[in-house]
Amino acid sequence: MSILQAIKNKVRSRSIHVSYVDVGSCNGCDIEVLACLAPRYDIEQYGIFVHNNPREADVLIVIGAYTHGWEEKLAPLWEKIPDPKAAIAIGNCPISGCCFDRRGSYVDPPVSKHIPIAAEVPGCPPRPTEILNAILSVRDLVFADWEVKRR
Amino acid sequence: MTASLYWYLREFARIEWVRKFFFARTAPLVTPAHFRGFPEPTGKACQHALFCMMVCPAVGAIDVVHEGDGWKPRIHKGHCIRCGLCVEACPNGVLMSGRVLETMQAQGTALLVSFRISIDRDLCTGCGNCVTACPVNKQIDAQLGAGGHSSNDEVIMRVDDGDVQVLHEEKCTGCKICETSCPTQAIQIARILEGIQQPVEGGGP
Repeated sequence: MSILQAIKNKVRSRSIHVSYVDVGSCNGCDIEVLACLAPRYDIEQYGIFVHNNPREADVLIVIGAYTHGWEEKLAPLWEKIPDPKAAIAIGNCPISGCCFDRRGSYVDPPVSKHIPIAAEVPGCPPRPTEILNAILSVRDLVFADWEVKRR
Repeated sequence: MTASLYWYLREFARIEWVRKFFFARTAPLVTPAHFRGFPEPTGKACQHALFCMMVCPAVGAIDVVHEGDGWKPRIHKGHCIRCGLCVEACPNGVLMSGRVLETMQAQGTALLVSFRISIDRDLCTGCGNCVTACPVNKQIDAQLGAGGHSSNDEVIMRVDDGDVQVLHEEKCTGCKICETSCPTQAIQIARILEGIQQPVEGGGP
């Protein structure tokens, strides 16, 4: 591993930009993501910065059961994120649809049908610690040595 | 000017300030002990009462499968919402989650599952399908014939006078096999869940 790669790994591990997108949730998971930003869990102490610009993001957090309004929006949004990138599904909804996935409802879970999902955090809603741990583990798996792995 | 600079540097070179600035950390990512996580087995044997499945509000979150020589509840992550109702409803304490079992014991609460059998006399043809399909009936009276007639008074229900008569509603286990075997949808099983609380010594918390 070259020194340049080592520097990149070091920098990337402390500089994760997160963009989150709610594709039709009940807001329960949004509140938990919000709790990550608050001082108690303080996501920024790990160098994770949340702002909702996919062009600057490394990690896309997907919340919700995928309503049909996102049909032509979520995939282009995923395309806009520059490599290396990873999507994390937060909560039961993007994994299984949870209580919304029943006959006659206008949702289309799981989200992994529509964009590649790197990690899933089950729970209704998941704890902020679980969300944080997912982001941190994805960071180590996806972003470390990314140029080496791509070759 | 010099004094000002001196005080300025003095203020910022304080060791605790430097430590706070460079090594600031909030509480570590630990899950508190009281957190109600996904239900876990306690090691007690599952008796296949299936109350966990009946009480579960989430779709496809729990099922009970035959494994080895016994039954075993399986929790499906991604479906389970960690409400802890299966832990409370289980009569044998097979599952545990957070402090649910301790709280139930301390407060003397329990979830009671009971079943009510209702038969629509207008629709019932007296075919006896429900009587012969019922697994509890079959255990009590092995001689139960195809017509649903029985001389045994201990069965849950039997055909008398061309209609199904319910004798022992309390023995019903809520499997609803009679419902699916009925050709006219005349029989309905209502699953009734009630929370009860026993008075505890000292009045509880």
